[in-house]
Parts: sequence; C-alpha cells; structure tokens
Amino acid sequence: MDSDSRNPTSDRHPSHGGASTSILPITATTDDVAPSSSRLSRVEWPTIDGPLGLSHEDSLAYARRFFKLGFLCLPFLWAVNCFYFWPLLRHPHSHHSNPRLRTYLVGSAIGFTLFTAILSSWALTFAIGGERMFGHVWEELVLYNVADKYGLTGWI
Amino acid sequence: MEQNPRPRSVLEVCGEEIIRIVTPVSICMVLVVILVSILNGDSSSNLSSITTMATIAYTESSSDSIWDKLKGALLNSLVFVVVVTLVTFLLVLLFYLRCTKFLKYYMGFSSFLVLGFMGGEIAIFLVKDFNIPVDCITFAILLFNFTVVGVTAVFMLKMAIFVTQAYLVVIGVLVAYWFTLLPEWTTWMLLVAMSLYDLAAVLLPGGPLRLLVELAMSRDEDIPALVYEARPVIIDIHNNNNNVDSTTPNAQRRVWRRRGDLDENEGIIIRHDDSSELAAPLIQHIDIPPMNGNVEEDSNPVLEGIGLGSSGAIKLGLGDFIFYSVLVGRAAMYDYMTVYACYLAIIAGLGITLILLAFYRKALPALPVSVMLGVLFYLLTRLLLEVFVVQCSVTLLMF
Repeated sequence: MDSDSRNPTSDRHPSHGGASTSILPITATTDDVAPSSSRLSRVEWPTIDGPLGLSHEDSLAYARRFFKLGFLCLPFLWAVNCFYFWPLLRHPHSHHSNPRLRTYLVGSAIGFTLFTAILSSWALTFAIGGERMFGHVWEELVLYNVADKYGLTGWI
Repeated sequence: MEQNPRPRSVLEVCGEEIIRIVTPVSICMVLVVILVSILNGDSSSNLSSITTMATIAYTESSSDSIWDKLKGALLNSLVFVVVVTLVTFLLVLLFYLRCTKFLKYYMGFSSFLVLGFMGGEIAIFLVKDFNIPVDCITFAILLFNFTVVGVTAVFMLKMAIFVTQAYLVVIGVLVAYWFTLLPEWTTWMLLVAMSLYDLAAVLLPGGPLRLLVELAMSRDEDIPALVYEARPVIIDIHNNNNNVDSTTPNAQRRVWRRRGDLDENEGIIIRHDDSSELAAPLIQHIDIPPMNGNVEEDSNPVLEGIGLGSSGAIKLGLGDFIFYSVLVGRAAMYDYMTVYACYLAIIAGLGITLILLAFYRKALPALPVSVMLGVLFYLLTRLLLEVFVVQCSVTLLMF
C-alpha cells in the first residue's frame, strides 16, 4: 500500500483508478505525519484524563481561570494546571493545539518553577542555616516553637 | 485494517474495576496504620480527655470494670447513631427541598475544615515528632495551598481525576485518624453500631439513605456528597484500532453505565458542635450494558467522549473508607498481627459486597459485611491466635 500511494501516477491507473489513486496520497501523507493512530489520538484529548476530561472548547476557560487564580499565592494550582493539560505541553505542534491555551500553560509552568525555587531556597536556608545564621529569630520562627507558644495542637 | 489482538475478557475488565476500588481503600488503610504507629505508638491505652460527640455519654477510664465499659460504650454509640440518623434525615429534607447549593457549600466548608485544621494539626504533630526544622511561613504557605486545592477538587466537577481521588483519600485518612483517638471500647462498639445503622438505613423502606437514593434516582441528579468514584474502564468496540484502551472518538462504550446518579452521602464529623453529617455509605449500583451493543437511555449511541459528566463506575462512599481505616487503625494500636488479619477480613468483605452488588444490582450498604468480619477476626486474633503464635515462636516450634 505504501509504495503505490506514494506514487500516485495517473499513468498507472488511467481510467477509474485515477480517482482512487488521487485519494490515496492524502491518506498517505497524513499517515506519514502521524505514523500510528495512537499518537494522533493522544493529542486528541487536551487533558490527561482523555475522554473523561474536558473538551477543547472548555479547556481555554479552565486554564485561564487556574492561571489567574494561581497568582493568589497558590502555585499548587499552577502545578495542577500543568499536570491536567500535560498532553498539550508534551506535544506542542499538533494541529489541535490552541496557542492561547499554550501560553497559559507555559505561564503556569514558569510560575510554578519560579515559586518552588524561591520557596525551597528560603526553606533550605532556614533549615540548614539554623541559629548560627539567624540568631534569635530562628527560635521564634521555627514551627514547633510557634505551635507550643500559641497552643496550636490543642484542638484535637 | 487490523483486528484487535484479542478482546478483553469480562474477567479482565471486572478485575480491573475491582482493583481500581480496592487500591485506594488499601492506601487509605496503610496511611492510617502508619500515622497511628508514628503518633500513637507510645501510649497503647489511649485516654483521650476530649469531649466529643462520640464520648458525650460516657468517658472511659482504664479503671472501670468491663461491664461498666461495655455499658458506657453502648451508650456512647447509641447517642452517636441517633445523631447521625437525625442529621441524615435533615440531609434528605434539604435534598428534597432542592437546597443543593447549600449542601455543596457545606461539603466544601467541611472539607476545608478537615484538610486545613485537622491536616494542619497532624502535620504539626509529625513535625514535632521528627523535629523537622521548618519555619512557620513555609508551613503556612504549603498548608494554604494544600487546603485550597483540596477544596477546589471537592467542589469542581472537572478537576484531574487523580487529584480528586487523592484528596478524597487524604480526607478519609484524616477523619479516620481522628476516630482512632476515641477510647477503645467506644470505638469498637461504634463500628458495630454504624454497620447495623448502615444496614438499616439502606435496606429498610423508611431508611434515610434509601429515601435519598430514590429521590436522586427519580430526579436523575447527583447527591452532593463526598464519594469516591473509580475511573471507569473503557473498552473499544470497533475493530479498527489495535489499542484496546485507546480513546478514539468514534466508538467507545463505558463498561459500567448507570441509570442515574445514585450517589451516597458522606459527611464530616465536626468536633465541637452538634452537626455530624456522617451518613453511612452505600455502594453504587452499576448497569452492565448488554453485550450486543444496545444503548441505555441516558447515553449517546456513539459516545463522543467529550468529557462526559456521568460515567459508569463503581462508587464507594467516603464513610466506608473512614470506617474501614478506623478498624484497621484500632487494630494497629494493639499489634501488627491484628492489622494483617483485619485487613484481609475487610478486603474479603469488600469483595463479597461487590459480588452482592453485581447480583442484586441496587444500592447496597458496604459497611456491614466488612466491619463484622473485621471485628470477628480482630477478636479471634487477639484472644486466640496471638497466644498460639507467640508460644510457638518463643519455643521455636513453628513460625
């Protein structure tokens, strides 16, 4: 099937076969672009849940809402956004992808990475530096002291 | 055009569905056992001095006689079951009056409380136990994120399924851990009482849960409740796809499809005040579609699969998760031998319930079989098996 379809020479099949051979190359080229049907179907669904997730139309509003809500000091929402639309991040050049949707996803990914970097550097500095670096403030900021001071564990 | 390599047998499909419900139950139980071992490990005789709804009638102390403890525990669990019944009837009333929005907000609020406060407290306990040098700013940010995303997952319909399922399991773990803080006799009596209540509430004609399910069925809408829904198994009925689980838009059919949304309730225990909305759980009924490809009334003949809201999958109420985990957590407070025995008993009970579900095809209570088997195995292990095994091991006879 492959060799015939790639050479749709009309001289080979002059009469009724011309119509059929002219159809073949189109299918051949799309088969070349997506050699396995599974790859085509993988970007068929924008979300990681496949047919149980959102459609392409709803995805844009969803991604935009999560992107904007993430600015309320909620980087976890950005992470969930990236996780949910993972197929779109992985295959950026499919013919289904929406460039605006992609900007939200890339923005979410960048925001999450930045926030994680900042937070983890602060947390590691606090943990490793300890009292030598911070002095008296360390005792006041560390969680178990704060919990004892304010009696935060007395509710259970 | 390629044929399917081989069609998936009913056994594989059903087995996968069962695994998808047994796995989160097991994860919940394991997490509760781990928490209990870490946090409660020191004091095996746990005297909690808190006055909760479950201990309002009688506060157990270790110096009472057995008969006193039994009476006190019976009283406690009676009070608890009565409160739960009242609240469930209230829920039925609200659902009947179509106050669905209020119920959804209440659900979100209670999951906020559980995730934020109880999750935060347990995290603080863990931090103190392991002396992790985390500062309060980082902790506050992490807790805030965790809670807000959890509430969104419970509220919103279209969150990533994995995230929603994970958060439901976490809520189950937290509430179950709280229950293990109750005194011992009260806990066991409470488990037995709740399973009897579950049996009555689902199967008796006047039971609140049965009323709720019938209301939801007649209106064909969702009950706003915390329900764990397993991911449905999708089979492809066309032959032009060599990937059996692939999700082409043309021809898919969910294996289990349901007639309507027969959800069950779950509520969260709020400690200090009255409202305990814990309605005992059911298992979801599923419709097995006929094999010749006829379609049921509420689904398209060709499922385009564009994010369908109603999927047909096994649903298990969060109360089931919680009470199973409470049983195993309590068993963990004695010894790990009882944990293994109770775990096996609960999984066996769950399997039996699923078989009954496939047989009777209606909403069934998931608690009675598992909890009764679990309690039986706990008593047998603690009173009989342990003595035998320990003696044999000590004298190097066996094991």
